[in-house]
Amino acid sequence: MDFILQGLIEAIKLLAAGGGETYSAIFTTLKVSTISIIASLILGIPLGFLLGYAEFPGRRFCRTLADTLLALPTVVVGLLVYAFISRRGPFGDLGLLFTLPGIAIGQTILALPIVISLTASAIEGLDQRLRLTLLTLGASGRQLALTSLREGLFAVLIASVTAYGRIISEVGVSMMLGGNIKWYTRTITTAMALETNKGEFAMGLALGIVLLIIAFTVNAILSILKMRAGI
Amino acid sequence: MSELIYELSKLVHRYGEHVVLEIEQLSIRKGRIIGVAGPNGSGKSTLLKILAFLQAPSEGMVYFEGQRVTFSDPPPRREATLLLQDPYLLKRSVFENVAYGLKLRRDKNDLTRRVGQALTWVGLDPKSFTHRSWNELSGGEAQRVALASRLILKPKVLLLDEPLASVDAASAELIMQASFRARRDWGATLVIVSHDLIWMHEVADEVLSLFNGSLAGTGARNLIMGPWQISESGLWRKELEDGQQIIAQSPSGDQSVAVLDPSDVSISPKSLEPASQRNAVKGAISQMIFEKNQGKVLVNVTADSISLYARMTEDAIKALSLHPGQTVWVSFDFDAFQWL
Amino acid sequence: MERKRMKPWKILALTAILATQLLLPGASASAGEPVLRMATTTSTDNTGLLDYLAPLFQKDTGIKLQWVAVGTGKALALGRNCDVSILFVHAPAAEKKFVKEGYGITRRKVMYNDFVIIGPKNDPARLKGLSIPTALKAVTGKNAVFVSRGDDSGTHKKELSLWKAASLQLPDKKKWYIQTGQGMLTTIKVAEERSGYTLVDRGTYIKYESQNQGNPRLVILVEGDKSLMNQYSIIAINPESCDKAAYNRTLGFIGWITAPKAQKHIADFRLLGKQLFIPNAEQ
Repeated sequence: MDFILQGLIEAIKLLAAGGGETYSAIFTTLKVSTISIIASLILGIPLGFLLGYAEFPGRRFCRTLADTLLALPTVVVGLLVYAFISRRGPFGDLGLLFTLPGIAIGQTILALPIVISLTASAIEGLDQRLRLTLLTLGASGRQLALTSLREGLFAVLIASVTAYGRIISEVGVSMMLGGNIKWYTRTITTAMALETNKGEFAMGLALGIVLLIIAFTVNAILSILKMRAGI
Repeated sequence: MSELIYELSKLVHRYGEHVVLEIEQLSIRKGRIIGVAGPNGSGKSTLLKILAFLQAPSEGMVYFEGQRVTFSDPPPRREATLLLQDPYLLKRSVFENVAYGLKLRRDKNDLTRRVGQALTWVGLDPKSFTHRSWNELSGGEAQRVALASRLILKPKVLLLDEPLASVDAASAELIMQASFRARRDWGATLVIVSHDLIWMHEVADEVLSLFNGSLAGTGARNLIMGPWQISESGLWRKELEDGQQIIAQSPSGDQSVAVLDPSDVSISPKSLEPASQRNAVKGAISQMIFEKNQGKVLVNVTADSISLYARMTEDAIKALSLHPGQTVWVSFDFDAFQWL
Repeated sequence: MERKRMKPWKILALTAILATQLLLPGASASAGEPVLRMATTTSTDNTGLLDYLAPLFQKDTGIKLQWVAVGTGKALALGRNCDVSILFVHAPAAEKKFVKEGYGITRRKVMYNDFVIIGPKNDPARLKGLSIPTALKAVTGKNAVFVSRGDDSGTHKKELSLWKAASLQLPDKKKWYIQTGQGMLTTIKVAEERSGYTLVDRGTYIKYESQNQGNPRLVILVEGDKSLMNQYSIIAINPESCDKAAYNRTLGFIGWITAPKAQKHIADFRLLGKQLFIPNAEQ
């Protein structure tokens, strides 16, 4: 017990002190996860909307594909992206391996199926009466699509939060594409996975606490939005 | 005197192979209140969706104000608006819901006043309702907000699908008053689907009866379903469970539906025996409905499992001193039927 | 007269704008300064040597050193793929092959220390004071727990060569032979938890000692054999096969770390008052 208690006290001291390795990992995580979630939302929401709203040949296949990729293992994403952005890979000249944009690419690919699949489900799950109501109030095709997206906004927000949860908690992509470079690509999770068992137990605990706080904050924002949306 | 707003011709609508609506010809005049009656699955809702231009019919022609409606081009959806039986409100405030249609039309002049006015029409106080969220409303209030969001558009046609089915009495009254205002203030045509025959005959200028997707004529109709059995004499017979029977001449098949005009049915408070060429069935009076457009009274008699209407003058009812609950005999000729 | 409250989409948009604001300066700053990317063994990272040298190097040259700490085998692979510009590793045989194959040039010695075998204080297999081959035979004979890096690192390669030199078959699938596949400090922690023996470079061991306030559970039992020498070298990745390699910066680092000033920095790097690495760059 002493060991854990001691670690906890050290962890709180580390967090209170500010700066240092611990905060570097925290800011790196926030930075890269923000880029990743924005990129996956910009790409994923229109694609998911299209998948849930429009009828086109191959739609069922795309839907199944997106659903299957929900369970994409992070290390597989890491490996595939590594193959592409390594200097020997087709995009090697961009010099993306072991950089934040490199991690962001992997995390975006990881989050994309979640955003697409959940957005599509959200749009498919909209009330049948919505379409009739909007049309009979005089909506054009474009207005119908936009209002449908807005009616499904809350479900899309849930998709975003789920995707963010996946991004912020993944280790494999950050480790394989970021390389755990101190002060640069070391994230909360790579620091916890790779540094804690090198004796940095307090730092691991401190980072764990921060990860929980981030998860809690995101969910709190979600429930505030939920209350405001009146759902 | 008034021109036609709708004209339907040779209209057929199918879901897959199944024909759900088949109307040879139907005209609706501007500014009228049209009731649509019929059992579940008779095609009422499909008819409303076609009139609201939300559903293209499989075959046939629809004319709106004399113009052929092509459903592939955007149809004149902004002229006719449908109030669903179970309304859908956008997940926004009451204001946003009522103003939505106007915003779609980029008509944003004086929004606040117009939304307030529309809310007042449906009996909702703008002060307390404008800023409410969509989920802070009772069923009746939601239905009225949905109606206000349509009235504000001043549509030429207001289509109401069972507007009173799921609301309280006070809301029902307010919904009807507001709908009548649409006719009074800007000459809107109302098409109302309802199960409530008494009420419908009271308010409608004309009542269309739909059965199995076909128009069984305008006004109240008696429908007698098969099976019919052929008897030795070559006549067809339907047996009621209590042993009485109805005899008809030559239906088109043993499952045919007989249509009987209430004007061809008479009622006697005294016992009648079936005679040659005329049925007599014993039953009890269950309802008496005043028919606004005919100035007459429909007397509804329930005999075992069937229900029959007889159309009578007020004077005749007084002379026979008929009242609900009374045992009576209804009579009609063997050849009074039309067949569906 | 719309209700004055933030709509969800406005909140989303604001968040996005804020986030972009937050990220842009950070992104441009790191793009501005010259960066040298290195792949290195876990021991130079775990001990804190690079944390100590990198700021000194940046002060002298303005170049920012970034490193990925992996086993030597993985480091050589990263070099072959041109994903880093320089290697700082400790597996001489593999390094020579790497240079011979044309992937690397300008291999220079930087420093050395030695490997030791550590184990629990009570020393269940009685290794204390034995020579390396007899110690490994004692481990095998007693089926004592032995924890191996198992990650193709310099330390792992050294360990494999020691089993070979002792004419012992590698106890690859033996229950008592644990291959962690992880870094040096992590491997020591595994040995500690399982009360096992392991091979470690002296630098990382001193780091472990200092983490445990000079009173570690695992102590040095075998040391001083000539075969336990641990040479660290630096290799520039061949700019011919990796055209974008920052060759000038690489040469800058090689020049800097082999010069007397940095060599003295290495000699001065101490934990618990003990020197971790002995500089031996040839001038």
